[in-house]
Amino acid sequence: MFGNWPACCANNPLHMSLWTEIWFLLGKEVKLEWRQRHALSGMLLYVLSTVFIVFISFQQISPQLWNVLFWIIMLFASINAVVKSFVQESSSRQLYYYQLANPLAILLSKTIYNTLLLLVLGALNAGALLLVAGNPLEAPGIFALAVILGSVGFSITFTFIAAIAAKTSNSSTMMTILSFPLIIPVLLVLVNLSAHAIGLLQGSMIGDDLIMLLGIDLLLLGLGLVLFPMLWRE
Amino acid sequence: MKKHWWKILGACLVLYSLLMGMLTPLKTGISDIHPQFLNTGDTVVMEVTGYNSFYSKAGNGLRAWLKLDANHALAAHSIQVLDDRHLKLEFVLPPTLPGPQNVADASLLIDSPVDGAHVYPAGIRIRRQNLTGVDAPTAWTDAIDELHEKDAITFPFRNILGETIRNTYYHVPMWFAMFLLFIGALVHSIRFLRSKNLQNDRWAAALTTTGLVFGALGLTTGAMWATYTWGEPWSGDVKQNMTAIGLLIYGAYFVLRFAMEDPERKARISAVYNIFAFATLIPLLYVIPKLTDSLHPGAGGNIAFGSQDLDNTMRLVFYPAIIGWTLIGLWASQLLYRMNTLEEKLRWTH
Repeated sequence: MFGNWPACCANNPLHMSLWTEIWFLLGKEVKLEWRQRHALSGMLLYVLSTVFIVFISFQQISPQLWNVLFWIIMLFASINAVVKSFVQESSSRQLYYYQLANPLAILLSKTIYNTLLLLVLGALNAGALLLVAGNPLEAPGIFALAVILGSVGFSITFTFIAAIAAKTSNSSTMMTILSFPLIIPVLLVLVNLSAHAIGLLQGSMIGDDLIMLLGIDLLLLGLGLVLFPMLWRE
Repeated sequence: MKKHWWKILGACLVLYSLLMGMLTPLKTGISDIHPQFLNTGDTVVMEVTGYNSFYSKAGNGLRAWLKLDANHALAAHSIQVLDDRHLKLEFVLPPTLPGPQNVADASLLIDSPVDGAHVYPAGIRIRRQNLTGVDAPTAWTDAIDELHEKDAITFPFRNILGETIRNTYYHVPMWFAMFLLFIGALVHSIRFLRSKNLQNDRWAAALTTTGLVFGALGLTTGAMWATYTWGEPWSGDVKQNMTAIGLLIYGAYFVLRFAMEDPERKARISAVYNIFAFATLIPLLYVIPKLTDSLHPGAGGNIAFGSQDLDNTMRLVFYPAIIGWTLIGLWASQLLYRMNTLEEKLRWTH
């Protein structure tokens, strides 16, 4: 699949491999983000202020609540961060990419970029919660693993849904409606996994959770890669 | 007529499953006994409440046993028939239990020439009262023999389920029909992406609509069943939750369709989403519930359907019900499809 060009781009004008293409597009995404620093700082502020609102409203945060709040904040921040993936650039520019690049490279570069972005948001979210609400973590390693896998899972699902939502007239509402139910299985496993890290759950279920999470992530990624060219082609 | 045989078949099968499922009586059973905790060495009078039983007609032909295991049973000392539904059994319990255990689990077996043999499975506890009791090798050795069998078409009696066992024919086929309709929608979505034929898109939309209706019906019949067996309509059972999420995912399909004007784009995007939704439905309905405890049969240590709960009489109604409801679903989808096609035509001619 990789390296084979779809019919649209058979001439492969730049003679690049898929991976170089991804690399270039990723660089473009980072550069774009850096030029519009207000978007990035907006996202970071969004996370910080949400954490602070939550802290002020609850004062005392039990470990169980900590766990749930972390993932709820993460969910909303991620949707806000990813929704712009396919709408921030004008449709004429998209057409330009369409002629130039492999659709897989576009989806993968955006997914990888969003993963990195969500990792930053996750780290910030965790840091802020740890600072204001205390540290309930018993196994920080597992929690970090959950955040990493969570970022990957969120990014895969949300990026693909953002591509769908971008085709509609009301993309941000559409994004929420489409992605909330789809993300619930991933979210349930994540909450379970980090409950293990906090010590709320005992037992050897971590392996099952991890396999399940990887399975869902791979399934979504595979589907995204197969279906994205059909979405993109217009 | 040749074209419509499957609609007639579907309607007949559904009608058959409704009539047969509602009119067939349940087997005779024991719905309640008192007391359930017994001590060795005592003489107990056990009050038995039967279900669908005709004890006064059976009269002296009635026999009853407390059954410990395949080799150990104790016959009732005397049986007093109060009325068709109520019995008083007197048991003279031996001073010891046959095994080394101090508490034994027993079931009550009643044999009637009118109703056949029926049983209250497990749940009676017998405690060894005198720990150093004398060993009586002849105790607990009454033979259970010449049990009667009733020749009639009946559904099995299960203590917790009672009459609600009939819901098997109305709850479970909904899921089969829903799943088959969603598979149909998936096939048409894939075919649309390959052929770009808007007919496939209309089929996919119609099948998804009916599938969603069947899903909602499955959820409702399940909630009704749960009210009587689990105590409340929504117990937060993992299958209930996951199904609700699955239906939300498919519900979003229609919101997505409404959000787009251009028919070609609408068809393409919703086909892509339909495939995506189907793929996420699999882990929701078939993987996650397997990993968690569920109140449903076949999970969390509960007995699966097919091993004990689904006997041959039930199969005679259950399988036709699945086929019948699926055909009705296809019929409804076809009507929807034809309606949408006509609406499209009208839009283009006016």
